[in-house]
Amino acid sequence: MTAVLGLVLGVVAGIFLQPDIPIGLQPYLPIMVVAALDALVGAIRSYFERSFSDRVFVVSFISNVITATLLVFLGNQLGVGSQLSTAVIVVLGIRIFSNVSSIRRFIFRG
Amino acid sequence: MRPFTHKNGDRLPKSIPPKAKGRVHANDDDTQTGAFPVVRRRPPRSLNANANRARLVTSVLVALMCALLGFGYAVQVHNNQSSYQSLSEEELVRLLDETSTQVDKLEERKSQLNQQLASIKSAADKQKEAARIAQQNEQSSGLLSGRLPAQGRGVVVTISEETDRVDATTMFNLIEELRNAGAEVISFGDVRVVTSTYFLDTKSGLECDGKKMKAPYTIRAIGDPDALQNAIQIAGGVGSRIKVQYHASVGVEQSNSVKIDQVRRGQDYQYAKTVE
Repeated sequence: MTAVLGLVLGVVAGIFLQPDIPIGLQPYLPIMVVAALDALVGAIRSYFERSFSDRVFVVSFISNVITATLLVFLGNQLGVGSQLSTAVIVVLGIRIFSNVSSIRRFIFRG
Repeated sequence: MRPFTHKNGDRLPKSIPPKAKGRVHANDDDTQTGAFPVVRRRPPRSLNANANRARLVTSVLVALMCALLGFGYAVQVHNNQSSYQSLSEEELVRLLDETSTQVDKLEERKSQLNQQLASIKSAADKQKEAARIAQQNEQSSGLLSGRLPAQGRGVVVTISEETDRVDATTMFNLIEELRNAGAEVISFGDVRVVTSTYFLDTKSGLECDGKKMKAPYTIRAIGDPDALQNAIQIAGGVGSRIKVQYHASVGVEQSNSVKIDQVRRGQDYQYAKTVE
């Protein structure tokens, strides 16, 4: 409940505030969002598995975001930023898909 | 742990007082015999309150995380719509390349279409020109073959016989003189003179293209009036010959509007064919 509330609040704030992102952060924001999404889906899955731990969620959220950002940052330093960000997106996408499929199994029992 | 009693102590030599000091400590220990050292317990906390607070903190944290996610999402969506600012250099270069390629293609297409338009226009012009020429041809050939009535500046020649009849050869000469002087359309009486017109002497009189002619003859010719008049009236010309030879009177009258209504059906060519 609080999660949904927070999500809605964040979206509303983002829409209404329309902040200007610093240029340096711009390439990383989409990656951060996808990483956070992955953490969120993972949390939903663990919630369905009755093994949800808020601490694990918070830590995985932050570590996901930081890892993804660092990876892309590293890629940018090495000149393979776009490839590496693609790789990160692909991996996170795969994780999101597998998590969603296990959530689906929990919901539909199949 | 108590090796010495007071009674045993009497047996010990008294030359060892330090041990006696130690014994004082031993006596202190003695008072707390059989008990473990007391560990001070933490102040008891309400288990229930603790859990409540933890739950509050964690849900706030979870909400914060989700809010961050939503915030980032919304910002990124907004940002993505707006500009090319976030694109990397190579992406921009690729975009530029694509755009310029597209521009080139469009330019090519434009020039193609322009070419097509020009060719269509020229074709239309040609067609118009052809139509104009066809009309011109139709007009001139119509005049030439006697299919169309004509009018214009020219002369009207009147020949009235007295006694002698003007013969066909002289008449033909007259027509030829008119033609030489540039007569474009000629009529003889009510016969339109064309290339195949003939004159024939018959017993009953002059015949032109199968029609009997009676004096006075009226010859209309469209062309330069002065030249036509000269052609007839030149000294020693056909006009004077008619006057002298046949004692006929020849009148030439210039007119600004000679009208020739006589027409003739188009000729069907039996032998001649056009060369394609």
